[in-house]
Amino acid sequence: MKSRFRVANAFSHTVLVGWAVLTTFPLLWAILSAFKDDNEILTSAWSLPSKLRFENWSRAWNEAHLGRYFLNTAIVVGGALTLTMLLGAMAAYVLARYTFRGSRVVYFLFVGGMMFPVFLSLVPLFFVVKNLGLLSTHLGLILVYSAYSLPFTVFFLTAFFRTLPSEVAEAAMMDGCTHYGLYFRVMLPMARPGLISVGIFNLLGHWNQYVLPIVLMQGEGAEKNWVLTQGLTALAVNQGYAGDYSALFAGLAIAMLPVLVLYLAFQRQVQSGLAAGHLK
Amino acid sequence: MRHGRRLFVLTFLLPPLALYAVFVISPYLQAFQISLTNWRGLSPEYEYVGPENFSRLLQDHYVWNALKNNAIILVALPVLTIVLALFFASMLTIGGRSGKAGVRGVRGAAFYRVVYFFPQVLSVAIIGVLWKEVYAPRSGILNGFLRTIGLDGLAKPWLGVPDFAFWCVLAVMVWSNVGFYVVLFNAAMQSIPREIYEAAMLDGAERGETLRKITVPLLWDTIQVAWVYLAILAIDGFAIVQIITLGGPGNSSDVIGLRLYDTAMGEYKFGYASAIGVAMFFLTLSVAVVALRLTRRDRIEL
Amino acid sequence: MNTLTRRGVLQTAATAGLLATAPAALSACATSDGGGDSKAAQGDKSNVNPLGVKEDAPLEVVIFNGGFGEDYAKAHEAMYKEKYPKAEIKHSATQEIGKTLQPRFVDGSPPDMVNNSGAAQIDFNGLVSQNALTDLAPLLDAPSLDVPGKKVRDTLLPGSLLPGTYNGKVFALNYAYTAYGIWYDEKLLADKGWQYPKTWDEMIALCKTIKAAGIAPWTYQGKHPRYMSWPILSAAAKLAGPEVLLAIDNLEPNAWKHEAIKTAADAYSQLARDGFILPGSEGLDHIQSQTEWSKGNAVFISCGSWLESEQKKVTPPAFKMAIAPTPSLSSGDKLPFEALRGTAGEPYIVPAKAKNANGGMELMRIMLSKKGAADFTRKTSSLTCVAGAEEGVELPPGLTSVTKALKASGDKGFNWVYNSFYRKLERNLVDAACGDLFTNRINAQQFVEACQKGADEIAKDTSITKYKRS
Repeated sequence: MKSRFRVANAFSHTVLVGWAVLTTFPLLWAILSAFKDDNEILTSAWSLPSKLRFENWSRAWNEAHLGRYFLNTAIVVGGALTLTMLLGAMAAYVLARYTFRGSRVVYFLFVGGMMFPVFLSLVPLFFVVKNLGLLSTHLGLILVYSAYSLPFTVFFLTAFFRTLPSEVAEAAMMDGCTHYGLYFRVMLPMARPGLISVGIFNLLGHWNQYVLPIVLMQGEGAEKNWVLTQGLTALAVNQGYAGDYSALFAGLAIAMLPVLVLYLAFQRQVQSGLAAGHLK
Repeated sequence: MRHGRRLFVLTFLLPPLALYAVFVISPYLQAFQISLTNWRGLSPEYEYVGPENFSRLLQDHYVWNALKNNAIILVALPVLTIVLALFFASMLTIGGRSGKAGVRGVRGAAFYRVVYFFPQVLSVAIIGVLWKEVYAPRSGILNGFLRTIGLDGLAKPWLGVPDFAFWCVLAVMVWSNVGFYVVLFNAAMQSIPREIYEAAMLDGAERGETLRKITVPLLWDTIQVAWVYLAILAIDGFAIVQIITLGGPGNSSDVIGLRLYDTAMGEYKFGYASAIGVAMFFLTLSVAVVALRLTRRDRIEL
Repeated sequence: MNTLTRRGVLQTAATAGLLATAPAALSACATSDGGGDSKAAQGDKSNVNPLGVKEDAPLEVVIFNGGFGEDYAKAHEAMYKEKYPKAEIKHSATQEIGKTLQPRFVDGSPPDMVNNSGAAQIDFNGLVSQNALTDLAPLLDAPSLDVPGKKVRDTLLPGSLLPGTYNGKVFALNYAYTAYGIWYDEKLLADKGWQYPKTWDEMIALCKTIKAAGIAPWTYQGKHPRYMSWPILSAAAKLAGPEVLLAIDNLEPNAWKHEAIKTAADAYSQLARDGFILPGSEGLDHIQSQTEWSKGNAVFISCGSWLESEQKKVTPPAFKMAIAPTPSLSSGDKLPFEALRGTAGEPYIVPAKAKNANGGMELMRIMLSKKGAADFTRKTSSLTCVAGAEEGVELPPGLTSVTKALKASGDKGFNWVYNSFYRKLERNLVDAACGDLFTNRINAQQFVEACQKGADEIAKDTSITKYKRS
């Protein structure tokens, strides 16, 4: 009994460690590869870089303009995240806690958006954005990102708002709280875990968004407004023609590190937020 | 009060709805309309062809081949992800040897929780490029590892073999999703009273038994939610496949999302591609309806 | 509960939101041809301005930012500016030609000249069948800028216009001239005392020697196995004459089942059967496999003449890149050993709805001048379709061998264009068949059947426009 337990125990621990290696090693490897030159990358995947080649990083940062794209991405993601959370929470709250005719239709209208492939709407979307004069602008991208994040945000937050206890709300209403006051002063603070949870989802989603900017950020002068994924793809595609692997890996590292650092800094909040949001 | 209530609902619902209608619904409606045409996407001209695209769809063996793969993912991705995540979550929560302090997680549980989540914060593009290099036959680290430990015979040109390529991609999907569900299940297990596990231990229950008899039943709700999310993910799967295998070799790792993308952006048959999209929409819808049934909660009315 | 009113308000709100936006957007997408006035800029034609370029009309150019970069295009644009100082030139470069430009084609406001290339190029079958392109005849019939007394058409290498010709009309200018063949390191062969084989039997014999020396004789771009369809088709054309290729391009019944193609497929599949291919090649993409080759881990590889610039970064200094034609399959081959597939590639187009189509064509005329073409060759290390333009330009070793091989091939050169008529046929269907053939999953007979099945699928598909060449 005891020894069988030991064997099972050893096995379990091996699997645990193995998975930890699986999740960290490829990332380390990518970061290390960012210091190698093309020859080393292509011929000796296992070896360490023969020296630290920071020029790969500067090539990616300067020549591929990743520095500028970084800033653009921060602006767009910041704006879009704020707008998404604001509008998403408002809609979800009303849909969750007020009954009115058509509320189910509106709800399904939002949720249905999760089930349709985005690239089919690209061409019509292009014209909508163009007619509004928002092509190649940060504002246009912010509005579009927000609109396309609403389905999941509303779906998630509706479920969340529904679980909040109604006693508090009733008590507040008795105290003469207005609907607005109730929302901002009582319900929103109570919904914090859910908001954080879906906020993280949206942050990651917006940061990694790829198809939308390609279609909407184009034409004369659009490049100065590009976001990081566009710059990165440009690098990746270019690699297919010019074989600049080292700059590609440096670009990958540049795109990956800030999110990883942010995550490590806030991992407690991220994890508890995500979990709380999904379990309520 | 009534009036205030109505105004409130309107002010809260109209702005999001307006944004959504302009940027999402109107383009989608047009996509539905396009699915009934032979539009080729490069000029404003097209003709309505009625249901022709849909009857073509039924006979398109490439579509069926892709759907078959999606069906496999639909089963395998949730099963593998959930089983792995459950195992890890229970190790991290109650896997430690029970001593005087009672049931606790294995040593280093906090570390594992953090690193298991890593793939979740990376974009699909990064994950795809990374794994393509991992699987590379000569310079990749997978074969490098196998050769190092003397298993040269197992080193394969992974993505070049039709029998393996699809499963390699599936493995990446599982890899990138497990971390999230570990965190999810882990949190859910925190709310299970420790005494239950301690009692089970005292009764001499083994780990597998504990998992089967206590954890799974108590976590059943969360597992269902997980299944729904993963199922929705499984119907798409486009980005990762496109980056890693492009659907090849042959069409062995094709998925419906990639079929749609190729039809639209490769062949410029937007009418037909939209029809595939509409079919996908209804497919996901049916999965989601099941999902909503499972997760339906009582509504608190004001 | 005041449901009636509330419902009314909400429904009105919801539907109003929809109705207000949807029809506007619908009409923008589907019915109007958008983009303001579609009148093209037109200037007076004269001897120095045979295309009637309006000298102050702005010119918008979109360049595919791939292996050639975009600097060469900026140089051509500067030459345009020199000729028409009042014209404002808008230049942009992208890798995502398709996603970037498709909405603008629908909108009716495309750029004036586009370098429609790369993996994300816009399908030509779609462009041509929707009349989205300008017929380039006026350009071709205009006098050359710096070859006195000749029309542009007559300054080009023979066959250059074929790949851009659809049912007799030239819709695309394929500017870069590309040779397809088998590549090797001349130095390696010389060091080892090996000779590039002129017949297939010699090739097999040499492969045995090479393998015995501990090197893999061949590798190929495993993730894109269609690269291996090129030597097969070339060898078949040399064996039975270029009519084989004509039949394939015209989708004639059983064109792929021609005995010559089967023979060629069988010959090349011996490389896989006898283990002459670098192990693991089927899992390598083009960069990875070509790098193995550059490292000397494999001796031969099939590719086009862009190989040299693609490999520039990882080619060892002593490596002497060279191209050779496919070895002859029999002593009775219809074409000599020297015959090579040379074709113009890298398509440039002028959209039909371009505001300054004449300007777009004028820019092409500048590209096709000897000065413009020589500048391109200098900047990109690639030949152009302008005859003799590379003379006096210093070329790297690979390209030097390409010019030599093309000269030797002379008028025996051949070409096929089914890949630009029906992109999917090569990129998906033939590609898959090659993948199976070179991993021993199918034999030559099954290979030609699979290709034929793909061709039949295209032929039957009523939604694909068909083209013929002669």
